[in-house]
Amino acid sequence: MKAAGVVAAIAIAVALQLTLARFTVGSRWAFDLVLVSVVYVALRWGPTAAVMGGSLGGLLQDALAGSTIGVGGLAKTVAGFATGVIGSQFIVTRPLPRMLLVAGATVVARLIVLGLFGVIDGHWPDVSWLAMLAETLLNSLAAFVLFQGSESLPGMLRRGPSRHSSFGKRKW
Amino acid sequence: MIDIRRRTTYFFLLVSLGHVLLISAQVQSKSGMPLLEAIAFGAFSGVQRASAGFADGVASLWGRYIAVHGVVSENVQLRAEIAQLQGQLQQKDAIAAQAHSLEALLHLQQSVAQRTLAARVIAGDPAPGSLVITIDRGTDDGLRADLGVITLGGIVGRVIGQPLPHAARVQLLTGRGAGVGAVLEQANAVGTVQGGGDTPPLRMLYVPNSYDVKAGERVLTSGQDGIFPAGFVIGSVTLAERGSTMYRLIAVRPSVNFAHLDVVLVLLDAPPSGAGTAVGAEK
Repeated sequence: MKAAGVVAAIAIAVALQLTLARFTVGSRWAFDLVLVSVVYVALRWGPTAAVMGGSLGGLLQDALAGSTIGVGGLAKTVAGFATGVIGSQFIVTRPLPRMLLVAGATVVARLIVLGLFGVIDGHWPDVSWLAMLAETLLNSLAAFVLFQGSESLPGMLRRGPSRHSSFGKRKW
Repeated sequence: MIDIRRRTTYFFLLVSLGHVLLISAQVQSKSGMPLLEAIAFGAFSGVQRASAGFADGVASLWGRYIAVHGVVSENVQLRAEIAQLQGQLQQKDAIAAQAHSLEALLHLQQSVAQRTLAARVIAGDPAPGSLVITIDRGTDDGLRADLGVITLGGIVGRVIGQPLPHAARVQLLTGRGAGVGAVLEQANAVGTVQGGGDTPPLRMLYVPNSYDVKAGERVLTSGQDGIFPAGFVIGSVTLAERGSTMYRLIAVRPSVNFAHLDVVLVLLDAPPSGAGTAVGAEK
């Protein structure tokens, strides 16, 4: 069940990433919904699930981007493991700490990717710190929406039918 | 009994080691399309088409019936026509640019008009900074690896990897590792334009310091890469400084606005070999 949840979360994140990134190609407004999903998995199911999710999500992104397979996978595995460990050691239930965790994971993952490409290419790649800041902000914002939505959606769904049914039963 | 935390750490280290081995294997030998890449691309291209269709449907619903009734469909058709015409115009420009050079006259017979195919962008960056897009044309439409892709204004990139029947990936010119043979329009110096930079996203390499290069000068394809015919617009020089080595440091701003890629044109024919060597002779 946990594995199916991890796979579903990552698959949905990859599909959403591909669909929404179509509107930001070439701009500085990059985001990584797969990373946000990995942090979600880490906080919900722990570091083992996060390692699985990070590995799967990163490998899929690498394969789809046609770049060196494993670079994104390793970055997201490390980020997922770190956030999973933090999530199991500390109480991370409020929106702000969660957003900070996603921001930290974004920076860590991006630096790992840059470092690996630096090793592969033999020189440190050009880094757009502004783009990294924009990505960090957008990822944090996406995390806020995802976490708040995932918590409030079940309650809304429970409340929804009862309200409708009482309205439907009214005799006019 | 092994502590669960320690077991997780072992699992993490094992997975990380797997990734490192995977990277090492590719860096040593990168030929053909890896199995994982083929499976992932194949599986998600269907999802991409469906999600792009859904997104377009929602956008279309808004555009057609709520925002501007009737104008959007006409606009889409006109944009496709403009893209087609712009491609033809670029071909004319390319031929005209070649005609200005004496060497180009020698290759005039070879500078045939290219067949192009309009394609819709159906997916964006799979990972931030990868600068790869997916288009809705594939092998069934005659696409194969290393075909050039252009749009309004100039060069977009090239098809990478083996395309699927109805989808192909295009590496943008600004992407890491992307490159195109280039020539400076006025200085008449050949070099290579490479992506992967930040500000500016493109750099022109291997232009000797002896050439006088000015900001604003147009950079065109040289045709020497075997992907793009000579004369297509790449961008314009924003900065040209004397380098510490024998080559100039030249920054190039791309002519294409990559933020508004919707319809692109794929060049279905590779340029004739040697067709682009007309311009850029040594001073």
